[in-house]
Amino acid sequence: MADVQENDWEGRYDHIDQILDAPGPRTDEGFMAGDGVKDFLRNQAKILVIGAGGLGCEILANLALTGFKDIHVIDMDTIDISNLNRQFLFRPKDVGKSKAIVAAEFIMNRVPGVLVTPYFGKIQDKDDDYYLQFNLVICGLDSVEARRWINATLVNLVDSENPESLKPLIDGGTEGFKGQARVILPTITSCYECSLDMLNKPTAFPICTIANTPRLPEHCIEWASVLEWPRVHGDKKMDTDNPDDISWLYAVASARAKEFKIEGVTWSLTQGVVKNIIPAIASTNAIIAASCCNEAFKIATSSAAYLNNYFMLIGVEGIYSYTFEHEKKSNCPVCGGESLSLSINREMILEELIELLTERQDIQIKNPSLSAPTKQLYLRAPPQLAEATRPNLLKKVSELIPDGGEVTVTAGTLPFSLSLNISFI
Amino acid sequence: MNDSQPLETATTSIQAPSGAPDAKTRRYDRQLRLWAASGQAALESARILVIPATATATSILKNLVLPGLGHFTVMDDKAVTGADAGNNFFLDGSKSIGKSRAEEAVKGLMEMNDGVEGVADVRDIDEVLKNDQGWLKSFNIVVAHNVDSDVLDDLAALLWPETHLVVVNSAGFLAEFSVHYREHQVIESHSETSASLRIDQAFPALLEYAMSLPLDTMDITDHTHIPFPVILVRALEEWRREREQVTGPSSGIGSPRTSAEKKAFKERIRAMMRKFDEENFEEAEAQAFKCWTPTVVPSEVRELFTLYSLSKPSSSTSSSFAALISALSQFVQNNPASPQYTSGLLPLTSSLPDMKSSTEEYVKLQKLYRAQSEKEKQVFKDYLSKRQVDVDDVTIDVFLKNSHALKVLKGREWKDINPGSKELLADKLSTNPKEAAIHLALAAARKLRAQGVLPLLDPTSRPNNTSIKGILDQNNLKDLLTAEVRTFLPPGTELPEADWSIISGEIARAPSADLPTTAAFLGGLVAQEVIKMITKQYIPISAGNAASTANERMGICVIDLVETWTGIL
Repeated sequence: MADVQENDWEGRYDHIDQILDAPGPRTDEGFMAGDGVKDFLRNQAKILVIGAGGLGCEILANLALTGFKDIHVIDMDTIDISNLNRQFLFRPKDVGKSKAIVAAEFIMNRVPGVLVTPYFGKIQDKDDDYYLQFNLVICGLDSVEARRWINATLVNLVDSENPESLKPLIDGGTEGFKGQARVILPTITSCYECSLDMLNKPTAFPICTIANTPRLPEHCIEWASVLEWPRVHGDKKMDTDNPDDISWLYAVASARAKEFKIEGVTWSLTQGVVKNIIPAIASTNAIIAASCCNEAFKIATSSAAYLNNYFMLIGVEGIYSYTFEHEKKSNCPVCGGESLSLSINREMILEELIELLTERQDIQIKNPSLSAPTKQLYLRAPPQLAEATRPNLLKKVSELIPDGGEVTVTAGTLPFSLSLNISFI
Repeated sequence: MNDSQPLETATTSIQAPSGAPDAKTRRYDRQLRLWAASGQAALESARILVIPATATATSILKNLVLPGLGHFTVMDDKAVTGADAGNNFFLDGSKSIGKSRAEEAVKGLMEMNDGVEGVADVRDIDEVLKNDQGWLKSFNIVVAHNVDSDVLDDLAALLWPETHLVVVNSAGFLAEFSVHYREHQVIESHSETSASLRIDQAFPALLEYAMSLPLDTMDITDHTHIPFPVILVRALEEWRREREQVTGPSSGIGSPRTSAEKKAFKERIRAMMRKFDEENFEEAEAQAFKCWTPTVVPSEVRELFTLYSLSKPSSSTSSSFAALISALSQFVQNNPASPQYTSGLLPLTSSLPDMKSSTEEYVKLQKLYRAQSEKEKQVFKDYLSKRQVDVDDVTIDVFLKNSHALKVLKGREWKDINPGSKELLADKLSTNPKEAAIHLALAAARKLRAQGVLPLLDPTSRPNNTSIKGILDQNNLKDLLTAEVRTFLPPGTELPEADWSIISGEIARAPSADLPTTAAFLGGLVAQEVIKMITKQYIPISAGNAASTANERMGICVIDLVETWTGIL
């Protein structure tokens, strides 16, 4: 090996080296068997892990054992007791500390010679130069918003003149016994935004149900959190991590349930509804994280063909998995280039169009601002422009733009704009 | 959403009266939402043995220790090598080298959860198989990873069928595993299918209520709050009565059949609206198919009636299940709580989905369903009491709630799939060439390892100063694997050339590699199946339904982590 490190004891990589010493039947021609690939993996490759939670802990451990030695990890969360059933780098004494920092320390203690650099904060804090330093990015996130942000950021980084600017993004996600892992080559394969419509629609209860006709225990809980909390507590923000706040909601929801003869409000259900808790177990996270890291290893070393491009697992009934190529969308607002055609009723007002954009499964843009090539339609900021464009909300879209006109949609939280081609029916 | 259903029942039992859960419940919250207190209790009383302390074995255990398994023993008589210290996260790096692999692994695993009991056993499995058979059989499940052929065969024969055996084999990017049991009963299958609302065969109180509503004269607000099942029952009954006038008295159970009839029926529901935007009627129209989807006993459940009427009463645990099935069978044949129908209905469940309605109407409907389901439960309990098996009320409730989705699976004995009958394997090679090739290649590798032909990773088994790279001859190994596999197949069977070349090539490249990522992947998948077996919730892999005579499924999960897929052979 080119650079033998003191921590690399005799036989340390005997398992991995069976793969790295010789090509296999499904190995790319560019594979540099032996010292070349080992040097790259162990001395040069730099990898970013986003999320140090259920998937993140597993990802960090796998990467370290696989031979990656320069690993960075970002997570803005602190450790909660409910993480301990699966986030195996944390102990009860760590509750309240930064996930990224504790995870990094654990890995460095356990796997000698690996440098893990933690960042306790948001991915949005970092700029393009930061992301450009990595060979690969692996995401183990539970937030759609964060995934959209990093996906768009990595697609925007791609500079056709500079092949190094293309950073493979490997994304994992789990829910209960189900999960998925995918490989995104920004601008080349389908991206996260291309598949937005595959997400399950979150359950939303109409406000009139909550206010007037509750039927389920969930309706009573929503009433307590959405209507009663602000009425009673005014501006005081609800802290869903504070058991006292959950207890208050539970008491209020229980009283309402009793009044309406609805059964089934429990403390745990209350917490589940207000925190939108998704069931999570170690085993599913292990499968998906392993799959993500396996792809990272194969891509970084060229030692074997890699996933093209989506692996989906359902373990509820037997073991069902489906591996397929998710197709790139030509009108994807992030990687597509073409604008999205939208036919709307000639009578539709701008406010309704905005509602449509928020609700459509393949768009899901919250609080968008809209503009046409020659004029602003509705801007949320700065306040003067918001004030000036607000009257447009009640105007018909057909009065604001011509048939076939272009509308550009932006949302402050997402680093891209969606271009619409609007026609009237 | 079915995943989270048992929560309410789950957590009430283990939560303090003030409401807030205790520390243990908080720690396990995210998994209790999947398998509830009953599943957790099962997990906490389970005993598991894992042989030996490979990276894959500790990965499996990790995913059982974290959720709170009762007891595990790791059996391994070897010392930690440099290679072990490099690929196993639960060993303490180079500090563990030379120490007992079992002891070091148990130490690393135990750090994660002090509620779990973990024991290292440094005996040689060969010895234990000879001298301590009773102890081996004291475990609920034994997991064996890359255990040599002859040892594995003896172990499997000893454990069958009382102790379940999980056999895991892997090399490089390829792996397979199988769970060995005779029969596995699942009441809480967490099926995505919900029980029938019996719209097509409304129980008397529901029918009476639906027909009593003065639809045309009632308050318009009340009209917009009639729940859709009531609308459907009403519409269907009116449709049936009109039809009787034309065709003469019928059985009273007809439903729209042709697409024209169905379309007309939907229009009938639309016509019942008194203003254009009554969402409850829109919902009824969307759910109209429930009128022509007959409420039946699913064939898989019906098959169980035959299965258990034929089987002799065996162990006590299965006999209570047999009694439940037998009482259910009697109920289906004769349901006095629904006298107008002589047969064909499972006991009614009282859980309703959400629907457009007012609170009062919804609660009223819930009460109707609950009253009827209580009545039917009493009938069921009467039938059950004649069977002289003591079954507690909670079990009865869970059983009735899930009676439409009961599952009884069959597994296979290890010797039946090691590697499997020649004819079946030849058949699998043509129907599932990739999966079959992986299974065959791993079986061949196991044989070669036992014969000492396959180079081992353990440096003590290698000539002095040779690296694993130095002694690996891929082409030679491929030939050896091919020769071995031919002995598994009927003479003259053609191997699928391209697939076999790839799969045997993968094994030859990394015959003894327990890759960290493959280990972690298997660790998750195997733990998942073990949890399903222990909790008796969700559905583990199987060789099919116990009642089915089909015999072509081997019940093996096969994994290729180059193309990244899993398959069932």
